[in-house]
Amino acid sequence: MSAVYDGLAARALDTACARGASYADVRFEDDRSERIDVRNGRVATLRDETSSGYGIRAFYDGAWGFAASADLSDGGVDAAAARAVEIARAGAAVASQRFGEAPTDRYVDTFATPVARDPADVPLGERVALLLAAERDLHAAPSIRAGHAWIDLWRVDKIFYSTSGSRIAQSLHQTGSGIAALAADGGDAQDRTFPGDIGLYQAGGWEIVEAAALGANARRIGEEAAQLLGAPQCPAGDLDLILGGSQVSLQIHESCGHAAELDRIMGWEANFSGTSFLDPSLLGTLRYGSDLVTIVIDNTLPRGLATVGYDDEGAKSVRSDIIRDGMLVGFEMSRDTARTIGRATNACVRAASWRNVPMIRMCNLNLLPGDLPFDALFDGVKHGIYMESNRSWSIDDHRLNFQFGCQIGWEIVNGKRARMVKNPTYAGVTPQFWNSCDAIADERSWVSWGTPNCGKGEPMQTGRTAQGASPARFRNVRVGAGYDG
Amino acid sequence: MDKDAREALARRVLAFAGTAPAEAIVNDVDAGLTRFTHNAIHQNVASADTSVRVRAIVAGRTGVAVTNDLGDAALRATVDRAMAMAALAPRDDDAPGFANNAGGASPPGAYDDGTATASPAERARVVAEICSVAERNALWAAGYVATERTGTTIANSAGTLVSYDGTSCALNVKANGPDSTGFAERFSTTVADLDGTKAGSVAAEKALRAREPVDVPPGEWTVILEPPAFGELLSYLSDHFSAQTYDEGSSFLCDGLERAYAAPSVSIADDYAHPLLAGQPFDFEGYPTARVPLFERGVASRLLTDATWAKRLALPNTGHGLPAPNAHGPSARSVVVAPGTATLPELIAGTPRGLLVTRFWYIRPVDQRKTIVTGMTRDGTFLIENGEVARGVRNMRFNQSILGALERAVFSCEPARTGGYAYSMVVPAVKIDGFRFSSGTEF
Repeated sequence: MSAVYDGLAARALDTACARGASYADVRFEDDRSERIDVRNGRVATLRDETSSGYGIRAFYDGAWGFAASADLSDGGVDAAAARAVEIARAGAAVASQRFGEAPTDRYVDTFATPVARDPADVPLGERVALLLAAERDLHAAPSIRAGHAWIDLWRVDKIFYSTSGSRIAQSLHQTGSGIAALAADGGDAQDRTFPGDIGLYQAGGWEIVEAAALGANARRIGEEAAQLLGAPQCPAGDLDLILGGSQVSLQIHESCGHAAELDRIMGWEANFSGTSFLDPSLLGTLRYGSDLVTIVIDNTLPRGLATVGYDDEGAKSVRSDIIRDGMLVGFEMSRDTARTIGRATNACVRAASWRNVPMIRMCNLNLLPGDLPFDALFDGVKHGIYMESNRSWSIDDHRLNFQFGCQIGWEIVNGKRARMVKNPTYAGVTPQFWNSCDAIADERSWVSWGTPNCGKGEPMQTGRTAQGASPARFRNVRVGAGYDG
Repeated sequence: MDKDAREALARRVLAFAGTAPAEAIVNDVDAGLTRFTHNAIHQNVASADTSVRVRAIVAGRTGVAVTNDLGDAALRATVDRAMAMAALAPRDDDAPGFANNAGGASPPGAYDDGTATASPAERARVVAEICSVAERNALWAAGYVATERTGTTIANSAGTLVSYDGTSCALNVKANGPDSTGFAERFSTTVADLDGTKAGSVAAEKALRAREPVDVPPGEWTVILEPPAFGELLSYLSDHFSAQTYDEGSSFLCDGLERAYAAPSVSIADDYAHPLLAGQPFDFEGYPTARVPLFERGVASRLLTDATWAKRLALPNTGHGLPAPNAHGPSARSVVVAPGTATLPELIAGTPRGLLVTRFWYIRPVDQRKTIVTGMTRDGTFLIENGEVARGVRNMRFNQSILGALERAVFSCEPARTGGYAYSMVVPAVKIDGFRFSSGTEF
């Protein structure tokens, strides 16, 4: 796509500068997506979507303006560039402080997601047939009232140009799929989803769908949903807790990932998604978790849903630590926010589409695996609960007090997985909870769990993040909080 | 893009389909949003886009393709893609056909020229009003001011041609002090209604009053929820009225229709034409949207349908369809709660001991079937003692059945439009006894 946009990019940047911008960048995107839903035997969605456009950032007198348009004519590009500068000027006119500084770095590069099998090479009939078969197998009991199977295929071709000389072309493939069964009987309804709580979403092609193994697991998922109707209520109390990998991923996302976004810490999200209990003075001093807890940003991770070569303000992907051996050591940052604490960006800026302004997003945030086989997590647990697959998630707007619920649980008695329990919930306060982590399963059960629907910003952007995790054990956690008051 | 241009575009798309059954949805949006924090603008954006969604039905098989390239070649290719996908899709003999609807006048007040053409300078002026109030009170403000113009046209080969032009605007402000916050919001179709000084003052007054918050114990409390709090809580009940949710067994209505589930004071409808909403009079399949009573004096008896679910359950089509086909089912768009008779100050004055809640945060279902949800208070939670707002309290987590709350609901007489990214509704403040808080937090 690159050559097509070179001329338009030069025009956009020239227009922005002519209007007074001291820096500008423009990001052209061709976005293509396919969504297939099968619900109760029907193909409920079969949609192929393309969307092309560009977003221009203009920097004027310490203020940023952003304008997006799909009009690729010369006049359209001129108008959008002028609009970006007009917006920046309007902000500068009432600004009592300056948030930004013009970037100076320059990259000329390309990046492409490694793809083993291009989804476009898989006949549509095959894609639909896979879902129809998996969905059919979910109906493993009369109480299954709804089966649902889906595939998302995304391809984003984007090219970034800046007045500092960058020209970065990227071709990204992201793929996800999942199945869900809803069982209902009398006054109860229970659901099960696989893989995890939202499906398996990773960077790559059709091989990601194959790795999800929907067909091989559909019958079990349907059976579990049906069994939950008759399962006893999860006991309440202060108990040991083992979380499945996808729930650890959710725990990282909500109580570490969002808490460590530096824009949130600085109050840039205060009115909507909130602030954070963290602040820069806690770097190197806050014991966030136990010694076992090391969490890193790695936007170079193969198959990570948020893996890119460069972020959307033209910074090169890196790996950097957020929590090292339990201590808080870093944040997710953009150029402007990193500068305020004397650091360099770690390339965590993303825009949901060409329509959206780039902002700090979680990207790939990984809890490094431990050294125990998964089954060994159960050893030494006298009475506890093993929970899998999120059903409910809520955390306060400083990212401290959380309450999460899972779809399914099993009581643990004397180191053994015992009876299935329904409606498992647990609650805690972020640092105390992570400090109660005393075991993490090894790399054999470690998965990069993509989150394709992370909401942040205004206008709200739906971002694609990932949290790598394996199952982990936490001691003396409040279980049953959603039901026991 | 105005109505005539959208309709011409839709007709052009249908012409590419020839005699094949097809539908075109044209959606045109031009939106601007100015966001501020620490009393200064930090994000200032605008976006314009027009998309065309084509649904083709070939021998009972359906395919959908979407583009925002409005050139003839791209539109023709999009129609071809939709038809190619349809040709490969499994046949669905239960799929409904297209609407035949040439009506659908927009409600009065849906469109305001001033809002449609609002400039970044106008948004910045409202921001400056808000920040000025915050600075005078030694607070810092964070929030946004947004304006948007939306145009939707739906046309199909069965004769439907409906269009809606609307504007919307909004502001919200969180006023921040050293140990307290306060909040105000305003939604309208008319930008002249956005009074930054007024909203900034409400938020600042709350932040100042909430200083030096104290802990109160969890447990059952009498609460008074202001509209932003009550609206967010109620939004989690909307899906229960979907015919799909009902049929699949996860709605509380599975316990039976024509039953009292809430206090006689509770009457709630889905009503796009309410003057504070002035919404779209047709759904995304092109069918007219009906005003549907959800609760009448506490009794729930009606389901929301789209073409698929109306046919499947042999019910009237209420016109609550999303773009078809979809896996989600019909959806409420415009929930309106009938007001009560007391003012908010009167509700407070009649409360010996309770909590006044400005806003909730991060509500999520805990148990869908039992309508239990959890969430946190936020941005102005106050202890009421002896009929007066006494002081700020630290925020708390609740676990509460929404239906349980509605069994004990007493409404104020002052409805307000509130909303989020997934809903827009009109609700008054509400007083609820026995609201269940389970834990506190550190701020």
